[in-house]
Amino acid sequence: MIKIQNVNKYFYKGESREVHALRDINLEIKKGEFSLFNGPSGCGKTTLLNAIGALDSVDSGEIYLGETEITGLNEDARTSLRLNEMGFVFQAYNLVPVLNVEENIGFIMKLRGFSDSEIKARVQEVASFLEIDTKLKSLPNTLSGGQQQRVAVARAVAAKPKIILADEPTANLDSKNSLKLMDMMRSLNEKEDISIVFASHDELVIDNVRRVIKLKDGALVED
Amino acid sequence: MFKLILKLAWNNAFLRLSRTLLVIIMIAVSMSMLLAIQGLFDGMAYNMSDKMLRSDSGEISIYHKDYRLNKIIANHVTDAKTIKAKLEQDSEVQAVVTRFSVDGLSATARKSSFANIIGINLEDEEKFGQFSDFLKKGTLDFKKRGALIGGELAKTLKVKVGSKLVFSTQDKNGDINSIALRIRGILRTANVKLDTSAIFIDAVRLDKFLGIDKNIATQIAIRTQSSTLQDKLKKDYPNLSVKNFLEINPMMQMMEDSMVIFNSMIFVIVMFVVFIGILGVMYVSILDRIREFGIMRGIGMKYSHIRLQIILEALFVGLMGYLVGALFGFSGLYYLENVGLDLSAYADAMESFGYETILYAEIKLSYFTNTFYAIFTASLLSVFLPLRKIKKMHPIDVIKADT
Repeated sequence: MIKIQNVNKYFYKGESREVHALRDINLEIKKGEFSLFNGPSGCGKTTLLNAIGALDSVDSGEIYLGETEITGLNEDARTSLRLNEMGFVFQAYNLVPVLNVEENIGFIMKLRGFSDSEIKARVQEVASFLEIDTKLKSLPNTLSGGQQQRVAVARAVAAKPKIILADEPTANLDSKNSLKLMDMMRSLNEKEDISIVFASHDELVIDNVRRVIKLKDGALVED
Repeated sequence: MFKLILKLAWNNAFLRLSRTLLVIIMIAVSMSMLLAIQGLFDGMAYNMSDKMLRSDSGEISIYHKDYRLNKIIANHVTDAKTIKAKLEQDSEVQAVVTRFSVDGLSATARKSSFANIIGINLEDEEKFGQFSDFLKKGTLDFKKRGALIGGELAKTLKVKVGSKLVFSTQDKNGDINSIALRIRGILRTANVKLDTSAIFIDAVRLDKFLGIDKNIATQIAIRTQSSTLQDKLKKDYPNLSVKNFLEINPMMQMMEDSMVIFNSMIFVIVMFVVFIGILGVMYVSILDRIREFGIMRGIGMKYSHIRLQIILEALFVGLMGYLVGALFGFSGLYYLENVGLDLSAYADAMESFGYETILYAEIKLSYFTNTFYAIFTASLLSVFLPLRKIKKMHPIDVIKADT
């Protein structure tokens, strides 16, 4: 489903290459996988996740999502790809503050042009599964961190993307909420057959995924 | 989708309520002041031209070809009364008067001054321009050698109602003749020429005093709404001078043009201030939410949707300001139209320029439509800079900064 071939990425300062962030990465992630990019800070896990998510470019190599080569797409096509094929969960939740939970969860579906009835039914389904259905009319700032992150997961999963990319989703949560979130995401992965890729160094995440891809200094060291 | 963007725009426009309210108040106050100034200026100009129309020229006046250059008795319209009678039959003519006017010297026991004596028919003048409106003191009649005098001339001659004065001028034969008059009323017409020099007496009496035929006049003034009547009269009376209001009063044209320029300048300045206000609040608001926009683009929201959201936000702020401003502006104008702005403290200066001491405003729909278009445009223009900022932004920069 995702094929990464000889990917290199540098961070520049001025004209000189400052950091070799990704070194000859070759990797394949199959449909329905529940996997993790793991490694110490600065190892390149978030950079790789952003490259797969068409958020960041690479200096060489190719990344394919299905038959589509992400690395060759222009900005508009990337935006469209992110909207239609991917879901994102960020460390800082990043919900839209002026929309209530229901509208936040249905946000991507709305952008993709689903009908109101489809959105309503799907939001109810996902919210029930993630146990936030009693908070649908609440604004994000009235929710706890754990609830906000579940709303972010619901938003990512609602439009049934091919893949969800989750960058440090448990970083702002306590262990109880982290465990609950991981349980729910694993259940979603099984129930919806959505591939989920994490970037995290949280032991709790490591314990809950089925595949751990270790990175060090931008290189893939263990799979 | 539009409904969602509309909701995002509306909620975000009022997210920082105090900041948005401040801009709305700024727009409303600026707009109210602008409307009040425009209304008062137009009211002043309208008032002045209306009084000049009613007290003197009408929309069209007919003179002897040479009269306006050389105001002597010989330069009169010979068959004025016949022309008047004919014009009264014309459906395009609302009212018509004939006047005979001659310059001379007015004198009391202590003072003397240049004056212009005008023979009129009070009944005709009332129909023509509600002449009684101009009476400030005394009564409107010519009984017992009665005369009506312009307010400024009365001041110069230091005469009051009941005072006597003598007017001297050359008669038809060129002989100097005098006529004794008693002031029956003092007039304020807002027409500087009349207020500073006019003495009105009964037309029949003036004819006798000057020894002239009662069928002649120096001016035939016409009230009409027709825009074609002047051309028609020019054809009918090729030997006479047929002039419209602005040709007779070129200063009014100049004044109207100056008012338009002045109003336009104020309009541009106020709208620029409004533009800066909306730009400021939109720019700060977008900088505040740059991360939010980055994330939105990151999860797949198109730039065109974000652009629409921001345009709607600016329009909400601008149009709310417009609505409040229109409400306050209309209330202010309504007050100024009915109660007026009392400038009695500056009465002397105002009256010497031909203005009323109480200024009344005009209310025109165009004030509101022009301001609407201007605020709408200012709101649209104000988002260019903030949108450029968002267009240049890469979602990854925001996401990286976030982690």
